[in-house]
Amino acid sequence: MLLAAYVGYLGLGAAVLQALERPAEVQTAQHLLREHWELLANHTCLQGPALQRLIEGIIQAYKSGITLQGNTTSLGRWDYSGSFFFSISAITTIGYGNLSPSTAVGRIFCIVFALFGIPLNLVLLNEIGQLMLLGVQHCARRLEDVFHWQNKASFLMKTSALVIGLLLFLLLPPLLFSDKEGWSYEEGFYYSFITLSTIGFGDYVIGMNPDRTYPSWYKNVISLWILFGMAWLALVIKFCINILE
Amino acid sequence: RAMCSGRLQTALLVAGYFVYLLVGAAVFQALERTAEKQEKMAAAQMKEAFLQNFTQLTVAEMEQFMKNLIEAIQNGVYPVGNESQFEESNWDFSNSFFFAGTVVSTIGYGTLHPKTAGGQIFCVFFALFGIPLNIVFLHRVGKMLSLLCKKLGKFLYEKGMRKKKIKFLTLLFFLTTGILVFLCLPSVFFQITEGWSYSEGIYFAFITLSTIGFGDYVVGKQSDRKYFSYYRVLVAIWITFGLAWIALLFNL
Repeated sequence: MLLAAYVGYLGLGAAVLQALERPAEVQTAQHLLREHWELLANHTCLQGPALQRLIEGIIQAYKSGITLQGNTTSLGRWDYSGSFFFSISAITTIGYGNLSPSTAVGRIFCIVFALFGIPLNLVLLNEIGQLMLLGVQHCARRLEDVFHWQNKASFLMKTSALVIGLLLFLLLPPLLFSDKEGWSYEEGFYYSFITLSTIGFGDYVIGMNPDRTYPSWYKNVISLWILFGMAWLALVIKFCINILE
Repeated sequence: RAMCSGRLQTALLVAGYFVYLLVGAAVFQALERTAEKQEKMAAAQMKEAFLQNFTQLTVAEMEQFMKNLIEAIQNGVYPVGNESQFEESNWDFSNSFFFAGTVVSTIGYGTLHPKTAGGQIFCVFFALFGIPLNIVFLHRVGKMLSLLCKKLGKFLYEKGMRKKKIKFLTLLFFLTTGILVFLCLPSVFFQITEGWSYSEGIYFAFITLSTIGFGDYVVGKQSDRKYFSYYRVLVAIWITFGLAWIALLFNL
């Protein structure tokens, strides 16, 4: 029965996403088709296979995280800040993928690093979550003492903790992102959720735009936000699971 | 006094966590920096060579073309091959289903991701309910797996073994068979179906089952390979049981 619900849920999601995404995809494909053939038509000395090879080369480079625009003297992405952020994305299991090890040794190290890092991360998140819960309970007890509300206080505290967390971790950060990254509010919200739930597609990643300057505190604040936000979201999801089971 | 040691423990934990991250970052940087430099040079050379061979194309046109191309790639459209390949969609039902699976399992490869605002918002809410559902589902699957272990334990108990030894042996059995079935064997399988090396297969298996899901390696995405029809279904089953096994491991 659970299996049926699970598969059904996946199927439903697939159908909806397909309906939403297909038209946009077709449009992009058509646009590129016109570009592709337009270029060939304008410069008829460009042979198909040579162009093909160039395209494949660009795709290959892109997949390794290299864009070929402008001159190539721009900073590499495996500088210390980038590597640190990569480490975070590995042990939190977010795994954006915009940066990933290309050397065999790097990959092996990544496995070992994550093997010990993920449990470490889980333990830390658990601690943070417990501290948050304790804080909420503490406030609830204080309210009970002051206003003599009994059960209502606990419920009130839990809902306000949920709302505060929602604001702090999901609803307010998109404003920061739209200022620093130039994303729309919806994109910022989408990024926030995808990051905190550790899904981490990598379609949006902070601090990756070469045309923008970021303040020095930016990446550190974001890292803290990820940590606490993940702990908060984990508590929320645990709560949902308790309801389901 | 207990509270003091608890606070100390937390502080040590936080400190250890950040030290771990810092050390990891340094190592990654050391390992990857040179390879990246080489790739950049190769890419620039390729660009130069192409421009030299086709001097009718101005640099500006070239840049524009590459910008369009990269935008297309970011949207998941790979313009290699002839026109007929444009007919295959990234968002056909099979791909969308696999995508939905990567969302609720929080693997999130990212090779496919929603581009429309509607798709993104739907994705958020789909995950909000799907992730708990997935966890509950994995618990159930995990229970099935642990039943097997309990049966083994019972068998050994009837043979007269001590309880502590049984516990140790079943744990060992669980660990080793899991590593074999979920990590080693699939990597061999991927060697055949994807043409990856064995270490690449292990890397992919680990990154997938840990739900990190970088997306640098993804099954069934190479356009020049033929996959048999139930390939991805098989992979999905492997991911499900593998995730349940890992969840069980953490609970032990």
